[in-house]
Amino acid sequence: MVSLELLKDHETVRSAPVTEAEALVDVRRLNLWYGKKQALYDISVRFPRNQITAIIGPSGCGKSTLLRSLNRMNDLVPGVRVEGEVLYEGVNIYDPRVDPVAVRRQIGMVFQKPNPFPKTIFENVAFGLRLMGFKGSELEDRVVEALKRAALWNEVQDRFRKESGLRLSGGQQQRLCIARAIAVEPPLLLMDEPTSALDPIATQAIEDLITGLKQHYTVVIVTHNMQQAARVSDRTLFMHLGVLVEEGPTELIFTKPKHPYTEAYITGRFG
Amino acid sequence: MNRSLESPPQAFSTDPWKTRIDRAFARALLIPLAVSIGLLALLLGDTVYRSFSVQVVRADEGPGKTYPFGLSANEILRQELLARGYTEEEISSSLQDPTERRVLLLQNRVELMWNTQDGPFRYVVTGLRDERVEDFSLAEGLRRWNELKANLGEGERLVLNPWLDQSFLTRPPSRSPLTAGIGVAIWGTAWVLSLALLIAIPVGVGTAILLEEYLREGTLNRILEVNLRNLAGVPSIVYGLLGLALFVREFGLGPSILAAALTLGLLGIPVIVVTSREALRAVPESLRQAAFALGATRRQVVFRVVVPAALPGMVTGVILSAARLIGEAAPPLLVGAAAYVPFFPNGPMSEYTVVPVQIYLWVSMNIPEFSRVAAAGILVMLAMLSGLYLMALYLRNRFRREW
Ligand SMILES: Nc1ncnc2c1ncn2[C@@H]1O[C@H](COP(=O)(O)OP(=O)(O)O)[C@@H](O)[C@H]1O
Ligand SMILES: [Mg+2]
Repeated sequence: MVSLELLKDHETVRSAPVTEAEALVDVRRLNLWYGKKQALYDISVRFPRNQITAIIGPSGCGKSTLLRSLNRMNDLVPGVRVEGEVLYEGVNIYDPRVDPVAVRRQIGMVFQKPNPFPKTIFENVAFGLRLMGFKGSELEDRVVEALKRAALWNEVQDRFRKESGLRLSGGQQQRLCIARAIAVEPPLLLMDEPTSALDPIATQAIEDLITGLKQHYTVVIVTHNMQQAARVSDRTLFMHLGVLVEEGPTELIFTKPKHPYTEAYITGRFG
Repeated sequence: MNRSLESPPQAFSTDPWKTRIDRAFARALLIPLAVSIGLLALLLGDTVYRSFSVQVVRADEGPGKTYPFGLSANEILRQELLARGYTEEEISSSLQDPTERRVLLLQNRVELMWNTQDGPFRYVVTGLRDERVEDFSLAEGLRRWNELKANLGEGERLVLNPWLDQSFLTRPPSRSPLTAGIGVAIWGTAWVLSLALLIAIPVGVGTAILLEEYLREGTLNRILEVNLRNLAGVPSIVYGLLGLALFVREFGLGPSILAAALTLGLLGIPVIVVTSREALRAVPESLRQAAFALGATRRQVVFRVVVPAALPGMVTGVILSAARLIGEAAPPLLVGAAAYVPFFPNGPMSEYTVVPVQIYLWVSMNIPEFSRVAAAGILVMLAMLSGLYLMALYLRNRFRREW
């Protein structure tokens, strides 16, 4: 049966590995503990620039934990401990000299449940820009630009200054959160199950948006929905019990998985 | 087959006794509600009723005249003084000098009566030494109106007196119920309350933010949590004793507005801390996460996202604690709200009195009409409280959020 003992010293199965030059993010031997409980085991993986990488795996396997260790959001959890390196543009973001706040300004994040601020649509998108000191017409231009890229502009252009972000529908709220995240032009965008709280039509809209985003951004998306991973991503990571079991180009993972666990998971024969 | 069409199957039939008991129980629950609403209505009705009376008043100096609606206070005073035998020059010179005019108005209450022996809605001027001859409840007074009017003596006037009127709201207190007003107490309350909130809001909200946003899982937090809840429940008279010992005596502030404001401020802090913390706690964690993920520092998260989102709740809490502070009589009594303060407060070191203390003193006077003055004062107090509660209610509904 599937067990941690069998996986512990597992060497990740890799197909068509990403070279160091292609990688925007290079995770090296990352281990993470919540208090005494270890959540990530010795994870090494590279995320290539301007591609979409999906992380799949059963719930509780550490997908969100891995994602959140890419922008140091895990630092906010009391009692968390990290070993290993995460190189972003060649710089280890866990170096003690690195300010986690500065890291998060470079890396956007979209959450599972849409979480707009109780402010106007404009102020939601402007939030990160204001933190970076944007003002006046430049601020406005970038807000509009972000709303356009997040495919929300047409729906809100006549009311985005006055209407609260909370008044939008769930799907629109999630696109607003994407606009908010990409307004500051982060080279890397992290998404944690961004469609799991949405209906199929809103999901479709977000998926279309994500595939369009890769021109400008590098995207890492966590999903529990394997069809979604297959539809939007270029590469896929399969995790289980905190271990990265297999990674490779999405078509390969879904058509010719090498590890028996991966095969079991994508064919739905998993625990 | 046929039988099932005529009567419903056993499984769906109702037990008539259960239904009856349910209904009786639901009705029984309405009784205490009805009783309490009834008692409140009775109390309010009684207070309103007692704030009106029909009186026969004998003027000490004047002729007991009444003046038509629409005249200015100056004109009324001029005519009254003329009738008392002053000369035109004396009158206009004293009306022009601001100090003398103030003294004149202090000694003579110009008020609008709903009915008088000369007809409805006329002004009368009540002097300090004017004497009440008789005082009747509204019902009795109106019933005997014509008889009383016929028997009016020299210099006497008959009035239907609404004790709660404009002159009552603006006048200082007086030894005579006829000229007493609540103006000084209202100003005292305004001074004390605003200074108290000026102290309690920054301290209370600051503490709440510190505990809720910065020291989430600390031991200090847990200790303070328990202590604050206890402090919020300490009887207010204890704060009064503390204020007396500390602010009035130790700090040498004496019976001043500042001493009362510090005491009431202390009383308000725990309530503001508790309500503000609740408001902060109601802000979902996901909003903080969103702000952190955008690269906000802790301070930016707190002051750009969390506090604005919690603001309606915090303001509501502050208003409710203000309502509590307004109604407190014990602490101000202990820290020196005075029985008779003829002058409007003009700074934090002034002598003062506050509305509940003023009412308390009126209630305990043994001249009967002071109960009418007190009734008018209670209505003022209730109006102030209702105003605050309505404000809190409005804010709560206006800014209610579904996250
Ligand atoms: N804040 C936390 N504190 C303690 N344990 C956590 C925390 N977040 C996640 N975990 C644990 O870490 C493991 C991985 O969780 P997570 O990364 O959320 O999984 P996934 O996103 O794949 O469902 C789980 O066993 C979970 O219980
Ligand atoms: Mg997750």
